[in-house]
Amino acid sequence: MMQVERLLKDEATEEKGERARMASFVGAMAIADLVKTTLGPKGMDKILQSTGRGRSVTVTNDGATILKSLHIDNPAAKVLVDISKVQDDEVGDGTTSVVVLAGELLREAEKLTNAKVHPMTIIAGYRMAAECARNALLQKVLDNKDDPEKFKSDLMNIAMTTLSSKILSQDKEHFAKLAVDAVLRLKGSTNLEAIQIIKKAGGSLLDSFLDEGFILDKKIGIGQPKRIENAKILVANTAMDTDKVKIYGARVRVDSMAKVAEIEGAEKDKMREKVQKIIAHGINCFINRQLIYNFPEELFADAGILAIEHADFEGIERLALVTGGEIASTFDNPESVKLGHCKLIEEIMIGEDKLIHFSGVEMGQACTIVLRGASHHVLDEAERSLHDALCVLSQTVNDSRVLLGGGWPEMVMAKDVDDLARRTPGKKSLAIEAFSRALLAIPTIIADNAGLDSAELISQLRAEHHKEKSNAGIDVISGSVGDMEKLGISESFKVKQAVLLSATEASEMILRVDQIITCAPRRREERM
Amino acid sequence: MPGPLRRRANILAARAVADAVRTSLGPKGMDKMISSANGEVIITNDGATILNKMEVLQPAAKMLVDLSRSQDAAAGDGTTTVVVLAGSLLRRSLSLLSAGIHPTVISDSLYKLSVRAVDVLHSMAIPLELSDRDSLVKSAATSLNSKVVSQYSSLLAPLAVDAVLSVVDPEHPDLVDLRDIKIVKKLGGTVDDTELIHGLVFDKKVSHTAGCPTRVENAKIAVIQFQISPPKTDIEQSIIVSDYTQMDRILREERNYILGMVKKIKASGCNVLLIQKSILRDAVTDLSLHYLAKAKILVVKDVERDEIEFITKTLNCLPIANIEHFREEKLGHADLVEEVLIGDGSKIIKITGIKDVGRTTTVLVRGSNQLMIDEAERSLHDALCVVRCLVNKKYLIAGGGAPEIDMSWKLGVWAKELKGMESFCIKEFAEALEVIPYTLAENAGLNPISIVTELRNRHAEGETNAGINVRKGQITNILDENVVQPLLVSTSAVTLAIECVRMILKIDDIVTVR
Repeated sequence: MMQVERLLKDEATEEKGERARMASFVGAMAIADLVKTTLGPKGMDKILQSTGRGRSVTVTNDGATILKSLHIDNPAAKVLVDISKVQDDEVGDGTTSVVVLAGELLREAEKLTNAKVHPMTIIAGYRMAAECARNALLQKVLDNKDDPEKFKSDLMNIAMTTLSSKILSQDKEHFAKLAVDAVLRLKGSTNLEAIQIIKKAGGSLLDSFLDEGFILDKKIGIGQPKRIENAKILVANTAMDTDKVKIYGARVRVDSMAKVAEIEGAEKDKMREKVQKIIAHGINCFINRQLIYNFPEELFADAGILAIEHADFEGIERLALVTGGEIASTFDNPESVKLGHCKLIEEIMIGEDKLIHFSGVEMGQACTIVLRGASHHVLDEAERSLHDALCVLSQTVNDSRVLLGGGWPEMVMAKDVDDLARRTPGKKSLAIEAFSRALLAIPTIIADNAGLDSAELISQLRAEHHKEKSNAGIDVISGSVGDMEKLGISESFKVKQAVLLSATEASEMILRVDQIITCAPRRREERM
Repeated sequence: MPGPLRRRANILAARAVADAVRTSLGPKGMDKMISSANGEVIITNDGATILNKMEVLQPAAKMLVDLSRSQDAAAGDGTTTVVVLAGSLLRRSLSLLSAGIHPTVISDSLYKLSVRAVDVLHSMAIPLELSDRDSLVKSAATSLNSKVVSQYSSLLAPLAVDAVLSVVDPEHPDLVDLRDIKIVKKLGGTVDDTELIHGLVFDKKVSHTAGCPTRVENAKIAVIQFQISPPKTDIEQSIIVSDYTQMDRILREERNYILGMVKKIKASGCNVLLIQKSILRDAVTDLSLHYLAKAKILVVKDVERDEIEFITKTLNCLPIANIEHFREEKLGHADLVEEVLIGDGSKIIKITGIKDVGRTTTVLVRGSNQLMIDEAERSLHDALCVVRCLVNKKYLIAGGGAPEIDMSWKLGVWAKELKGMESFCIKEFAEALEVIPYTLAENAGLNPISIVTELRNRHAEGETNAGINVRKGQITNILDENVVQPLLVSTSAVTLAIECVRMILKIDDIVTVR
């Protein structure tokens, strides 16, 4: 027999058929197992230790955050990281669930392929099962859009359920209220930009609060008013140190000291002129992204204008957005510059720090959540958790369909999918059955993480769900089966649907792979 | 190694940190000498400082370092206590874990414990009025007693109280901004010479040239942000001199220019100038100093930009950024500005008798060597924080291990009412709180076991304020000994320690990331 010539470059490798599939399964399951323990209200946290400079440490149980920062080489694992990222961008929560479900689907698929079921058959079965599961959810979905009272309590429940798996779980009622209030202010828009989150170390998490308007973490210049009513704000990005000629080597040649003084005077005049122009906009508050030197600062102080220097990029963009102004960089045409407005600017104190508070802003939806907490670890994690809750809520405001939580949706889906398996002839039914087992894995993991007897609980749950119209789910707090509706545990339909569909899609994609080609790494040019 | 093994490793690492600072707890605690990588030596028994300098790498151990930092931010004192407490709670958690209890159960019990413990502390608390200066001084003294500078506590404690009370704004009686208290360190003398100055102190010399005044009465002070030196443009400049007559003219012009500025300053009646540091050009030149001296103006140069706000607030004046804006209404007034000679040849500038003085104050810390001064500053900072805590939350609590023993006893009783795992966990943790009196006694060279058991007895008999009297080496009513501390220090130590332990318990893996 003739030797097949090497097709690929020297260092490129390929894995084929069974082996390729094996590699994907192992990689994907490893990832799923890594985040598995963070699932559910009693999930554990991970320390992320950075290998970069400073060896910074993050403590989190947010699936997306963990996966995002991993070093991964396995292509299948990367697919899972991607779906968790997409889940984070799209709906904001369920980032762990989606990876765990995909992992479980692949684990089941592995068993089937070992039993000589063709991957394509598995895919076909999974597709049918996913469709069936989705329909099962659609039938049981609750929609309280027309009843604002009930809808609000739905939102509260969803927020509390989301938060209960996070660091904020002890104070979840407080934060759920914050999140719901903030999202309801948005009036249906999903623009979370208008909700600003400020972190200030000190105090306890319960001291966190929601404030209407905008808070800027900056200082007011010396000698300027600390409180302005009916403020007209000019947001700018301009050099307030000196207007330099930006040609290299430009220099002034003179033959006497007096002329140097003159030029210096001229430079000062130019600055003064610029300040005059800015003042001519009829403003009483000037916010600049760049720094403001002492000289213009004094001019502003003399004119009774509040000038804030060094407001960072994010700060001024958001400020421009919420006050309805535009960021200006030239000041020759006052009429064409849109000024921002707000009712009151004042200096407030949060903990030890002084901040500037803009209230009664143009964009009524805008609000600020000030997070307080013992340390930066806590604050960072609290911000991530709150962000998840805000995302889910803003999605729910648009799509008001709600499901019960605590493993209830999985049980409902598993039951219907199981039925489908019994009705379906052929090998596909094996795959459908496997799908139902994978769904059951989620409540199992939740129970395991809480240190409960999962086998006992799941079998009880299954028996409960065999009855019509059961609301049974896992009550992690008391460690038994409970009525989810009474306990007020709800989840957004949109999140569940996204988890189901993207996990199925991802596992399908990985199943289809029968060859992995690793390209030869690009060599760096040797430099002398 | 994920799961239980990782958890165990984390707890052991965190406990190692706690053990490192344990011996420095309490009035008879030992000090640590830390020599940092750049050869600098620090002697301290401030927990936060020790831990900060330790360069811990293990992430769980790092969390304990952060814990002491949080306590420093929240209460300013009790930074060692909080770490020792966390270490003891972790030790008990480990034994609970090995008994097969799930970490979330332990963590939940801890949360319940912390809520209850804070209740117990509140029930022990003694309300306080800010006018009750004695109590304030007592609690500041308790904080200072455990420091290197404890023998000076009778001087530093009232000083800290006065400093804080003088910056309290009557409109916001609950807020104290410690940035309004400036601490100036000056080598020489002893800590005894530390004083509180209602005014400003600069660790600087008056800029000297011949005839410059070093003492000005009825001073009119200007804070300027421009320079009194030959003009300089922002664009690069060069003056071309083509013959020597021109040279003369340029020199003359320079003189006239500066003279003009000095005259304008003089015309406003100003006789003290504080000049902001400038990196672009000389703040003053010899020439301008000469003219200023002639005009009998006292000059202080190189004032940092960050200090400008504090200075203007104190002097109740406005900074002046341009010679054209030099007007009389922007000046601050003071009875006396003088350069004072302290120690051997080192000088400071004092501004006293300021008219309409802002709500700020300055403390001049003295000491015989740099190590002493630094430690004195840290201790003073702790004492200031203690007083600030009392202003924020006007309650006192007994010291000397009394609150911990009381919590331990009351929570132990409570644990008996509970059922199941919770009861078991809470009983363990209630005992863990005894580590504070135990360590206090141990560090004071007493027999910890007999002391702690006796304390337990006394508290069981209802003597809520029985504590360890380290000076006498026995147990007495600690309130009679004037050992009191702010409630906030104790509550935040308990809640923060528990929060940190819960966080460590919940971690089951360390993942290395980018």
